[in-house]
Amino acid sequence: MTAPVEAGAKGVGASLPRKEDDRLMRGRGDYVANRRVVGLQEVAFVRSPMAHARVLAVRKPEGAEQQVFVLADLEGVKPIVAVCGLPGFRVSELQVLAGDIVRYVGEPIAMCVAATRAEAEDLAELVEVDLEPLPVVADMLAALTPDSPKVHAHWERNAFLESMVDDDLSAVKRDAAIVVRRTVRTARQCMAPIEGRAVVAEYDRRLDQLVVHSATQMPHINRTGIAECLGIDQASVRVVAPDVGGGFGYKGILLAEEICLGWYARRTGRPVRWLEDRYEHLSGNANCREHHYDITGYADASGRLLGIDCEAVVDAGAYSLYPFSACLESAQVSSILPGPYVMDRYRCHTYAAATNKPPILPYRGVARTGVCFAMELVLDAIAREAGREPWEVRMANVVPSDAMPYTNITNKYFDSGDYPECLRRTVAALDVPAWRARQKRGEPDGRRVGIGLAIFCEQAAHGTSVYHGWGIPMVPGHEQCFARLSPDGALELRIGAHSHGQGMETTLAQVANEVLGIDPARVRLIHGDTALTPYSTGTWGSRSMVMSGGAVAAACTVIAERVKAIAAHLLEAAPADLELADGDVRVSGTDHSMTLQEVAHAWYRQPQRMPPDIDPSGLETTAGYKAVRDTGTFSYACHACAVAVDTELGTVEILDYVIVEDGGTLVNPMIVDGQVYGGLAQGIGSALFEEMPFNADAQPLASTLADYMLPGATEMPTVRMEHMTIPSPITRFGQKGIGEGGAVAPPAAIANAVNDALHDLGVEITECPITPRRLLAALAEAKAGR
Amino acid sequence: MKAPHFEYEKPATLADALRLLSAGGDNAKVLAGGQSLGPLLNLRMARPDLLVDIRTLPELRACEDDADSVTLGAAVTHAAIEDGQVPDPTHGLLARVAQGIAYRAVRNRGTLGGSLAHADPAADWVTTMVLLDAELRVAGADGERVLRVEDLVEGPLSTCLAPDEIIVSVRLPRLSADARWSYYKFNRKPGEFAEAIAAVVHDPARGVVRAVLGAMEGAPHVIPDPHALLGGDIDALAADIVTRSGFAPDTYEHRVHAVTLRRAVAGLA
Amino acid sequence: MTRIALKVNGQAVERDVAPRRNLVDFLRDELNLTGTNVGCEHGVCGACTLEIDGAPARSCIAFAVACDGASVRTIEGFDDDPVMIELRAAFNAEHALQCGYCTPGMLVTARDIVTRLPDADEARIREELSGNLCRCTGYVGIVRAIVSVMAARKSSGGGR
Ligand SMILES: Cc1cc2nc3c(=O)[nH]c(=O)nc-3n(C[C@H](O)[C@H](O)[C@H](O)COP(=O)(O)OP(=O)(O)OC[C@H]3O[C@@H](n4cnc5c(N)ncnc54)[C@H](O)[C@@H]3O)c2cc1C
Ligand code: FES
Ligand code: FES
Repeated sequence: MTAPVEAGAKGVGASLPRKEDDRLMRGRGDYVANRRVVGLQEVAFVRSPMAHARVLAVRKPEGAEQQVFVLADLEGVKPIVAVCGLPGFRVSELQVLAGDIVRYVGEPIAMCVAATRAEAEDLAELVEVDLEPLPVVADMLAALTPDSPKVHAHWERNAFLESMVDDDLSAVKRDAAIVVRRTVRTARQCMAPIEGRAVVAEYDRRLDQLVVHSATQMPHINRTGIAECLGIDQASVRVVAPDVGGGFGYKGILLAEEICLGWYARRTGRPVRWLEDRYEHLSGNANCREHHYDITGYADASGRLLGIDCEAVVDAGAYSLYPFSACLESAQVSSILPGPYVMDRYRCHTYAAATNKPPILPYRGVARTGVCFAMELVLDAIAREAGREPWEVRMANVVPSDAMPYTNITNKYFDSGDYPECLRRTVAALDVPAWRARQKRGEPDGRRVGIGLAIFCEQAAHGTSVYHGWGIPMVPGHEQCFARLSPDGALELRIGAHSHGQGMETTLAQVANEVLGIDPARVRLIHGDTALTPYSTGTWGSRSMVMSGGAVAAACTVIAERVKAIAAHLLEAAPADLELADGDVRVSGTDHSMTLQEVAHAWYRQPQRMPPDIDPSGLETTAGYKAVRDTGTFSYACHACAVAVDTELGTVEILDYVIVEDGGTLVNPMIVDGQVYGGLAQGIGSALFEEMPFNADAQPLASTLADYMLPGATEMPTVRMEHMTIPSPITRFGQKGIGEGGAVAPPAAIANAVNDALHDLGVEITECPITPRRLLAALAEAKAGR
Repeated sequence: MKAPHFEYEKPATLADALRLLSAGGDNAKVLAGGQSLGPLLNLRMARPDLLVDIRTLPELRACEDDADSVTLGAAVTHAAIEDGQVPDPTHGLLARVAQGIAYRAVRNRGTLGGSLAHADPAADWVTTMVLLDAELRVAGADGERVLRVEDLVEGPLSTCLAPDEIIVSVRLPRLSADARWSYYKFNRKPGEFAEAIAAVVHDPARGVVRAVLGAMEGAPHVIPDPHALLGGDIDALAADIVTRSGFAPDTYEHRVHAVTLRRAVAGLA
Repeated sequence: MTRIALKVNGQAVERDVAPRRNLVDFLRDELNLTGTNVGCEHGVCGACTLEIDGAPARSCIAFAVACDGASVRTIEGFDDDPVMIELRAAFNAEHALQCGYCTPGMLVTARDIVTRLPDADEARIREELSGNLCRCTGYVGIVRAIVSVMAARKSSGGGR
């Protein structure tokens, strides 16, 4: 649980209830699908039923020529190209509607427009598509073999990118008393926000502007991408992201659908909408987390890590998407695999393999979930070889407390933290001896109990130097906020990032309170509209609280100074003697004060009262924020759990779950907890339930939420959480990005617990999700092998 | 996805419903709770020209309670059974099974008859009603017939009902006071369809022992010699029964069905 | 098109609808009641849960024509409902929502749990919630909120 908040406090550190809740709880949320527009038509897409095929012909139904559109109709529209600047990157082009070749099931082929979605789907059924099947590349490992068919015919190899962190491992190979080599695999997943993607495109004649309402995490980036693909000025496009029903990375992308709808609205002047349905989402957009590792850990006899050697493959699907590209994930694998550990030598070879599957997107935690899974399984295997408790071996390998700040083997700068303490507190909270005793006793119901843990660190809010190094089309820079104290003393904040569950309408108001002393109830956040907000790369990478929080503080600081300058004149005091608190400007140590409202009123309505040398810029400003260094904050956490495994049915029940994490200064501890809990549920999904299987033809085998299982309330254990709150030295308030971490460790912690439970039976799971089918197969195999 | 075009009728009587169905031929379909048909329509996997809504027909809502049986109207909802709003001749088995079907919002609409007619191999009522050896009253254009539920299901989502037949009611024998039952369902999460079901009823006073495996590839499997389950080496027996039911040994399906059967038998005690 | 007459949030409504129009689209697109969200259209996610004749139901797999004569209550119809007022306060206090997309359906289900099963323990509450998926919160705040409302109603004697 989080520390209790000082009663009445509303600034940084307060668990203030959220301002955004009321409208959402009364059905007044404003999601894209809620937009009412006269004459709105709906779109359904004809999508490829085959994973790889030549498009011989697309025939429109007779009489529907003005309602059905193919690529040839989209004059001047450019394909989506996301080039990564790393050497050797192979470039793909995604036409917004299929060109000659389709490369995954679900790729859009034609756009059908009708009065209702049902009628648009009727139309889509009548479109005749002649496809000539081409050889399918369904598996990422097979894709990399020399004789594999090619996803892009002119490529030499099915790889967007190969990257290498090389090192000489001969010494560690010679010295290692323990060598463990494992093959680790994580399944392809769907991010599955409950709201799908959604786009409404309209044309504003007066402004000659395409207005696109889109459920996106990064409206400014979408605007840039839409303008580029349509070949028009960015000023001719406005993107609005209203309330968005969950993102998790799924909505951090430029959509082919946005471009098609934008083209249509501009060409016809008529508004259209497309709402992605669950069938489209599951069957055509399973697009994250599929990794394969061949990883070897070298350690001395005590379990101290000497080196890691890894070949990692990320299944990147068929195309490189904008703005994160097909290579962010694999490049990240090699740079973050070492995690929180110290080691002498490190070698990692990664591939972003191209397959005939949906293109990938970075999902909450991006590569970290897979990387943590691989690394933490290896650490446990080393511990077993060394005959030590897994936590002891970790203790011997994490960056020591006194080494912080620390630059690790891949040159990551860990800004702050105490990893050993995090481990200690986790192990204490789980009560390892009690579980070991229970394990010895055995369960009355015959299940097997095990405990497992995983520790990781999470680079967040990282900026230019890191992204520039990855060479992707979007490099985050700084972040701005526009702030205005209005004549009634209320504060308006405008930011270019987007809040879709993170509660920024509340937390950024807390930041304003911290600086200006204004009641958060009097702060209004405007975000998600390119016409109204400063440019921003958006909300992703756990960057908003650091970057937008920093920007809000910067803007409020400017306003505070200007408020003081006015108040000093009116109160006949020196600006330096003034303090801002509780909505007042007060002369320190006196009860001589005036309200912010009175100051604002004077500025706007009684300029005659201003001093002659007043700064005429007034009570509004745009200010920017730049972190002390842009290498990112490193939050970290240790997850530990106890599970009971039913070896007869292959089911896993989580009996206890403990998280100790360090998010630095917590702006709103309640919201931080919520982010971690939500991440945990997704991590449990990765660990035990979520998987999009594909057959040999790369056909997706789950098309409803009954086949693709998301964790529900019964799958979520009761969680115990502790915070360490060691401030980051590089951010405005010491806050660290924490939005993703909850989803990183659960597969590793749970798999380690399962393996702990089944160790005696000779079972070691190295693949997730750990389904009953997989677990029973492993148990049977172990039994047969003994 | 949105449902394809269809026409809709809501007749006031069973006779009208039957007339509409025969006139509609193969492309007319009954709509009850819509909790299976609705998803199929939305996915365009069902394409009827006409839906005949029978959910509120009084003939399908009536229940009867006599000395040795209870008759439940086909349009009785899972929730009504869960809440005990209709008679239960099984001392709780029905309510217990009902509570484990889907989610409350689905149970409020989904019906007993709809579940049986839909014949999903993993459906709970299909297995339960075969276990209890229930009988259906089925009405068609040519009159009514009575059918054992055991003879209803022919395969996954397929029954021996003609397209213009309607299940009117389900008649369940009354279990004796000292009868015991056990129902074990293995599913991944609540509301998910079962991966395996096994159910046993032992009613010595009526000389009845029945045991059924559900969530098969097709119809539930009625275990031919259920008495053997009441004593003896259940591990070997269960494996053997599951093999004879059609699952190859050493497969996932075989394993989970065998375990489920053992647990159902153990649950009887 | 078929003529239907029903009550929506207490008000009589008469409209012509295409038989294939599902209830949630009818409410959203024809009655402008956009509070009920759509998450799957196959009955699993629970985002579209509302009340038909006083009982929770999935509006994505109910057809508007089949609701002729029914009384439908959407999240917008619970503004003044005393139980819902308590639930909203508890959801706010316990951080039971993030993006809010699942929330209308979640609240309708939560209200059903509180009123129908006043003695439910946490395990039962979780089971009853299993038909409403939330991708944001991990259900922690939702469960806590429902537990707290049930406890408060019990101690005040309000729990019927
Ligand atoms: C999310 C979800 C989860 C579910 N989980 C489960 C589960 O765990 N276990 C389970 O058993 N079920 C489950 N179901 C299915 C549910 O129980 C359905 O209610 C049931 O299968 C169908 O009943 P219905 O009244 O809704 O029928 P409908 O959907 O209206 O009809 C289904 C079929 O039966 C025909 N039909 C309906 N009534 C009759 C009749 N009286 N005579 C002849 N034909 C008729 C229809 O023409 C149609 O073909 C689930 C459903 C959903 C949406
Ligand atoms: S939208 Fe109705 S249950 Fe998902
Ligand atoms: S709050 Fe986002 S889905 Fe529940």
